[in-house]
Amino acid sequence: MADTGISSSSGARGAPGSVATQATLPIARKPSRLFRNLASKIALVPMILTVLVIFVGCTIWTVVHSFTSSKLLPKLDFVGLAQYERLWGNDRWMVSIKNLAVYGTCSMIFSLVIGFTLAALLDRKIRFENTFRTIILYPFALSFIVTGLVWQWILNPDFGIEKVVRDLGFESFVFDPLHSDQFVIYGILIAGLWQGTGLVMCLMLAGIRGIDEDIWKASRIEGIPVWKTYVQIIIPMIRPVIVTSVVLIASGIVKVYDLVVAQTSGGPGTSSQMPALYVMDRMFKDQNLAQGFAASTMMLVAVAIILIPWAYLEFGGKKSRG
Amino acid sequence: MPRRISNSQKTMTTVAAWTIGVLIFFPILWIFILSFKAEGDAIGTPLHVISSAWTFDAYGEVQGRSDYFKHFWNSVVLSLGSTLIGLAIAIPAAWSMAFVPGKRTKDLLMWMLSTKMMPAAGVLVPIYLIFRDLGLLDTRIGLVAILTLVNLPIIVWMLYTYFKEIPGEILEAARMDGASLRSEILYVLTPMAIPGIASTMLLNIILAWNEAFWTLRLTAASAAPLTAFIASYSSPEGLFYAKLSAASVMAIAPILIMGWFSQKQLVRGLTFGAVK
Repeated sequence: MADTGISSSSGARGAPGSVATQATLPIARKPSRLFRNLASKIALVPMILTVLVIFVGCTIWTVVHSFTSSKLLPKLDFVGLAQYERLWGNDRWMVSIKNLAVYGTCSMIFSLVIGFTLAALLDRKIRFENTFRTIILYPFALSFIVTGLVWQWILNPDFGIEKVVRDLGFESFVFDPLHSDQFVIYGILIAGLWQGTGLVMCLMLAGIRGIDEDIWKASRIEGIPVWKTYVQIIIPMIRPVIVTSVVLIASGIVKVYDLVVAQTSGGPGTSSQMPALYVMDRMFKDQNLAQGFAASTMMLVAVAIILIPWAYLEFGGKKSRG
Repeated sequence: MPRRISNSQKTMTTVAAWTIGVLIFFPILWIFILSFKAEGDAIGTPLHVISSAWTFDAYGEVQGRSDYFKHFWNSVVLSLGSTLIGLAIAIPAAWSMAFVPGKRTKDLLMWMLSTKMMPAAGVLVPIYLIFRDLGLLDTRIGLVAILTLVNLPIIVWMLYTYFKEIPGEILEAARMDGASLRSEILYVLTPMAIPGIASTMLLNIILAWNEAFWTLRLTAASAAPLTAFIASYSSPEGLFYAKLSAASVMAIAPILIMGWFSQKQLVRGLTFGAVK
């Protein structure tokens, strides 16, 4: 120990043998580490730049223009909060908010619950497991456009589920969510769940598989019921997997626009409107840009309100690697 | 007792699992079957659909109406192009965040990822205007750029989680043995990073292939990929299920086939690295 301390100071003079290598190492490494730190900062530049310019820059531009009266073309004649007053007085916007709340809550809860339940049930070695996982994940590899079209067909009373059940003898069976003002959002929800639940299940299954066998042994010896072991021990232990699932489900909820466009185009009437659809219709159908900007600003605010406290709680405490 | 596994239990789980699997897969299978039927047979009862004659007509009609191969080629260029450029930007960034983490690394990562949660409608108009002024509307270059940006946070995040798993001691050991920075990257880091990069690549190709919001808004005819191709069938052809199915199959088949032959990367990629 003391040897290295001495020789590092005398390293430049050239000490013999093994001492030399130990001694020159820190000196040889110094410029390299400096270079690495510098290089690592430079490596981040393109990424930060693109995010900054595109997301932050464009978002600010949109927020600023939401306080104007832009119609067909964006212009900077400020009218204060007029667009926001009009927005919150608009029935279609209120329907959109309600729909998104229902869709978001249901899709988050059902994805997690169904995904976890299936994973717990299948928590044993399955034959042809790789193929099984691939098939379960296939829906997630499809475009929302395709999913929307497929489920439009399955839920169509003339060809899909209603027709099949009626052909089996249940003549009065009615299942037509896509043409009902009240249930259309659940028709979209079914399609969304179909696309995402397999993924959540795979994630949960991976998490449960990673749990140490001894945990199970211990809980069996203690006489804890299996369901209780799952709820009170396993769920807290697979927390990272659950966090990943929540992030992925949330990004799916943000993208529900694609699904609605393909499945119902916001109908029947305005009953399956979504905020993103409202934004697009205002901007491109009504040529009322500023109203669309105001609506998308509200969406940004909503995301920020949900995201910031959550991110703070989830990641705020741990700054270190891992 | 979930942990004492007898053979009959294993069979039962397998049967249960595959029942769920088939149920989930059924809609995909069904459009595949429908796409080989005549238009009149496709709207019959399920039994009628199965027993009626098989035909390639729907595919012929779809190809005749809109040039599939042009859209297919656009999709290939867009998804591969955006993935490769995205990797070129993300690999150095993820490498630096994983191996030389600073105080703000975690914050930066969270911030990157949060942009993925932003509603795209909020930045559409400024980007549309930039594209219009630069003459990038309905060009492949423009779309490659925008898809790269949209998926960059996911690429960086995934690569970061993969790179973080590479033990730093190995690099330390390589340096001890006198490896230069170049050979360290080339012979130690790269082989260990390749599986992660492959999964990230596959995931990103799929995400870019399926991206509909931007591709539908920023293209008209010449740069439109398969998502635009399939969307064009949705409303006017609503009742022609055989044609609609054929178009859907043509749009999704490349991804499903590619996924089938790289199942390991697909599962890793689509579960964002959580399933090894």
